[in-house]
Amino acid sequence: MSDATSNTAEAEADPTDCSACGTPLESGDLRCAICGKSAPVRRYDLGTTQVVKILRCTGCGAAVAYDPKKQAPSCSFCDSVVEIETLEDPMEQTGGYLTFTVTPEDAKAQLQRWLSSLGWFRPSDLSSTARVQELKPLWWVAWVFDADARVSWAADSNQGGRRSAWAPHAGTTEFVFDDILASASRGLSAAEVGVLASGYDLMTARPDPEGAENATIEQFDVQRSQARKQVSKALNEMAHNRVQQSEIPGTKFRKLQVSLVLQNLVTRRLSFPAYVMAYRYKGQLYRLVISGQDKTLMSGNAPYSQVKIIGVVGAVVAVLAFILLLIALAQ
Amino acid sequence: MGMAADTIEQKIDYKEISCQSCGSNLLVEPQMLTAICPYCASPSIIQRPPSENLPTPTFTIGFVVTQDRAIEAVSSWIGRSSVFAKSAFRKAAPELTRGVYLPAYLYNAVANSDYRADIGENYTETETYTTTDSNGKTVTRTRTVVKTEWRSLQGQHCCYILDVVVTASKGVTNEALEAVEPFDLRALRRFTPAMISGWLAEEPSRTQDECFQFAHGEALDKVGSQLKGFMPGDSYRNLQYETDVARESIDLVLFPIWSLAVRYDESKPPLQILVNGQTGRVGGKVPISPVKVSIAVGMVLLILVVGALLFGMAR
Ligand SMILES: [Zn+2]
Ligand SMILES: [Zn+2]
Repeated sequence: MSDATSNTAEAEADPTDCSACGTPLESGDLRCAICGKSAPVRRYDLGTTQVVKILRCTGCGAAVAYDPKKQAPSCSFCDSVVEIETLEDPMEQTGGYLTFTVTPEDAKAQLQRWLSSLGWFRPSDLSSTARVQELKPLWWVAWVFDADARVSWAADSNQGGRRSAWAPHAGTTEFVFDDILASASRGLSAAEVGVLASGYDLMTARPDPEGAENATIEQFDVQRSQARKQVSKALNEMAHNRVQQSEIPGTKFRKLQVSLVLQNLVTRRLSFPAYVMAYRYKGQLYRLVISGQDKTLMSGNAPYSQVKIIGVVGAVVAVLAFILLLIALAQ
Repeated sequence: MGMAADTIEQKIDYKEISCQSCGSNLLVEPQMLTAICPYCASPSIIQRPPSENLPTPTFTIGFVVTQDRAIEAVSSWIGRSSVFAKSAFRKAAPELTRGVYLPAYLYNAVANSDYRADIGENYTETETYTTTDSNGKTVTRTRTVVKTEWRSLQGQHCCYILDVVVTASKGVTNEALEAVEPFDLRALRRFTPAMISGWLAEEPSRTQDECFQFAHGEALDKVGSQLKGFMPGDSYRNLQYETDVARESIDLVLFPIWSLAVRYDESKPPLQILVNGQTGRVGGKVPISPVKVSIAVGMVLLILVVGALLFGMAR
């Protein structure tokens, strides 16, 4: 990673990398989350000769012994507990907010254009109805990762099939994953994230939210260990897709198996700007999402007018019936 | 390696330490990392410089299960034991409980394998066959049959081998340790002497080399079972593979184990039963009563013979 965002994002994390696979260790990690290698220890000096010790309570001087009820060493006399370095699993925190470059005015104009472009099939009261509300700025959260992966795969493909339609194939390849976005958003759907994801400039990340008033700020609501599972799931899916697209010969395949080993997995946690307009029309929820950095990227659904659709279908049926009648008469 | 093994075995002499609290001289078993003074009950910790086969522990998992809970777990485990267990065993009460931090190695690696196998791809074929119909005439019919075409496949496979646990104590076999596994490794803590203070803690009594070899073997088994799931096709045969392990790491971990003895026969050494000090899982071999098994087998045979006789008479 060479860009500035990654440096700001990782500023408070422990700078050491796993000595086996190059994945950065974060503060509170006792082992590498990817390959299990233990984190280097700031060892206490063990000297060169055997020493016999009794650990004493710093408060009262009584001997300290491990207590399974407290799950910690504790003083039997004054009950104080000795803190031990434990694996930490904090809640994920964003490492930076990408700035809004699309102004609220631009977004509003985009919203109006979208509403009027919906066409004749939309209910005629939609663009004027009071239910269409303001666009609200939002920062949604996602992990962005880089990794080098060695990927081995095996599958059946229709290429090379003889008597059977399928023939076995296998391969090994190296993939470089660069700035891959894995959504952590509870609010946005996978489809919406898919539309927005491509249009962000990661270099614009700032430590504080900038460029929008009264924005909704989404939090990562998962712990670090869970986040790592989601990132590695995303990595596996990504590897699967790439193997399907570029590795398996032939036009059809089945029984694809992928196994991969990573190097230098770097994960950043970032907040991405967007405008959201959500409204209810006749009890249904509809929503439009516009990227906060590229107004052409938007994803939305809107109601169709039942009356108009039924009217058109009725008209088409009537015309067809009329034509059939004419043909029948002509014969 | 041979040298190191010898030195460990020759060290039958007790370690002599002096209690830092009351000054008494204590004799400590050579494989112990801790001692409790019999005169003043002070918990001593023996710290020694690390060496090849006696590294400093990297991690510990603390005891969660108390002694009472461990005894309870074993009593109910004995109660649930098989009907074929020796009667004396089913009535025995566990005794001589001791909580000990057991040394074991935690092994991780990346496995790169070259494999070769025959992959079976199924296809259907219509074939004609002759048979006799209900009138006794020979007729020709057709049917579809599934056939398998064997294609050879060669490839590479890479994967992680994570968290293989191998005992480093001569007192506990891998089989016995596996019986009380798994441990929840999310509760790993960085080793500090305070974690074992007041408890028994053993030094590794197997060489690192021996443990490495065992871990290596277990890693290969894991690769084998991953490869079975990796094969495409409808079936496979002759799967062969060669594995190279890279990025190996091995850490000494102290695991919490309750060790109980069950004496059910004066003429035999007591049975060792282990309890996972983190999860309470019980492991041990139930002594099977040969008398009970023979009686059961005899009964089954008797029923069969009587049945056959009755059947013969009926005809
Ligand atoms: Zn690693
Ligand atoms: Zn003493």
